[in-house]
Amino acid sequence: MKNNTERKGLVINILSLISFVILWHILVLLAREQIFNIPFMKMKDLPTPLETWYALVGSMFTHTYGPGFTYGIFDHIKASLVRVVQGGVLAFIIGVPVGIGIGYSRLIHNILNPIIEIVRNMPPMAWIPLAIFILVTGGSIFIVFIGVVFPIILNTIYGVRSTDARIIDAARTLGASEAQIVAKVLIPSAFPSIIAGLRIGFGVGWMAIVAAEMVIQSPVGLGYFIWNMGDLGRYAEMVAGMIVIGVVGYIMNISILLVQKRFVKWVD
Amino acid sequence: MGRLVLKGVSRKFNGYLAVSDVNLEVADGEFVCLLGPSGCGKTTLLRMAAGLDAPTEGELFLDDKKIEGVNKEVGFVFQEYVLFPWRTAKGNIEFGPEMKGVQKDERERISQHYIDLVGLKGFENHYPHELSGGMKQRVGIARAYANTPKLLLMDEPFGALDAQTRNLMQGELLRIWEKEHISALFVTHSVDEAVYLADRVVVLSAGPGAVKEIFDVNIPRPRVRTSPEANALRNEILKCLGAEIQRAAGSEREIHR
Repeated sequence: MKNNTERKGLVINILSLISFVILWHILVLLAREQIFNIPFMKMKDLPTPLETWYALVGSMFTHTYGPGFTYGIFDHIKASLVRVVQGGVLAFIIGVPVGIGIGYSRLIHNILNPIIEIVRNMPPMAWIPLAIFILVTGGSIFIVFIGVVFPIILNTIYGVRSTDARIIDAARTLGASEAQIVAKVLIPSAFPSIIAGLRIGFGVGWMAIVAAEMVIQSPVGLGYFIWNMGDLGRYAEMVAGMIVIGVVGYIMNISILLVQKRFVKWVD
Repeated sequence: MGRLVLKGVSRKFNGYLAVSDVNLEVADGEFVCLLGPSGCGKTTLLRMAAGLDAPTEGELFLDDKKIEGVNKEVGFVFQEYVLFPWRTAKGNIEFGPEMKGVQKDERERISQHYIDLVGLKGFENHYPHELSGGMKQRVGIARAYANTPKLLLMDEPFGALDAQTRNLMQGELLRIWEKEHISALFVTHSVDEAVYLADRVVVLSAGPGAVKEIFDVNIPRPRVRTSPEANALRNEILKCLGAEIQRAAGSEREIHR
């Protein structure tokens, strides 16, 4: 029964994707034949799904698909991923201890909270000028860091604070010192929240990197790629790049979910 | 050793007197049940014995040592089990020894011993969410025991179990306790449970909690729940408790009026 429902769901998923692609194709054709155009859009300049596919394949298999291009789509994916991972790991290393500190100690909370509350409301994109004009290097990584660190901090705080007070009591009567309470109770208890924060953080980081790469000049990276392609009027490559961004982000999200499943076996 | 002494213990919460001038002794190796209507400060007394809460007046001693700060010589068993959900049954049982820095081999030996003692064989590697209530509480008891406490503090440990499992677990607790004999202070509001388990039953009065009467249970173990002696004692305790429950209910009506 359940299997049947699942199969039905999958069929609908696939049909939905196919319908979307067909609709896209039709809308572009209608605009090109001057039959119908979506207002305020130059639909005829949009590539069809097939043209997008060819552009994608072209950018995959040739490192030089035009004069002056030295990077293929995989180089762009890799460059962006490396930046996101670098910024994300840095955010994790800093965010988790900060979150634990704030969650555990009222004093640390009172010291850091006002700063965090203001800074976390500055979108990562608002940091781009600073990254360009003040930072000497690693601007894009810094933007990712800003995007990832706050979800991690907030989720870690939440995880620590929602630890059952009686569990801490139990640990105390079993002889745990304060340091052991933190290491052996608060951290494992907050772990699922921390991973959730990481997942949200990487989502934000992925958005941030694409935006940062458009502005912070570097000849490689998905953000740079789609901006540059748009600039050159190669819209098929641009749209192909956008789809790649979506798919890579999706895979990233799923991967972190799998990591969570693998390491957190104790949640119902 | 494991002699708990409460001397003139009172506890106020924001001006409200929860526990009033309790004098009580749990002798070494004795099983004492605290019985009383809800809100009579039973849990507060246990928490003070564990050093998780401090009296506003009076003192508590374990083996003549004043209880100040968390008392690491007690084993606390909670009503809602309060196991570490990220640890397996075995991991939970080894928590105390691990905190003390006991080596891995020795920890294995300890956990194996208590897994056998409480009847958890085959469930060592289960996480708490994979265990039934009765099994969880076996882990809770083993975890408390594995820390080699001088005194067991149990806060309605079987309160969340169904009636059958509850009876079974009472028998199991006695079996374990007779094998590894330590003092026990057991909170319940079941008269039946108290008469089945305890050497002495302490009836507390309601709001503020104070010792009303102490009953010796001079029935040899294993006890038969329906024996004439048990029935007679239950009647006596119920009579004593009944008045308190009336009073507690009365004050509840006051509050809700």
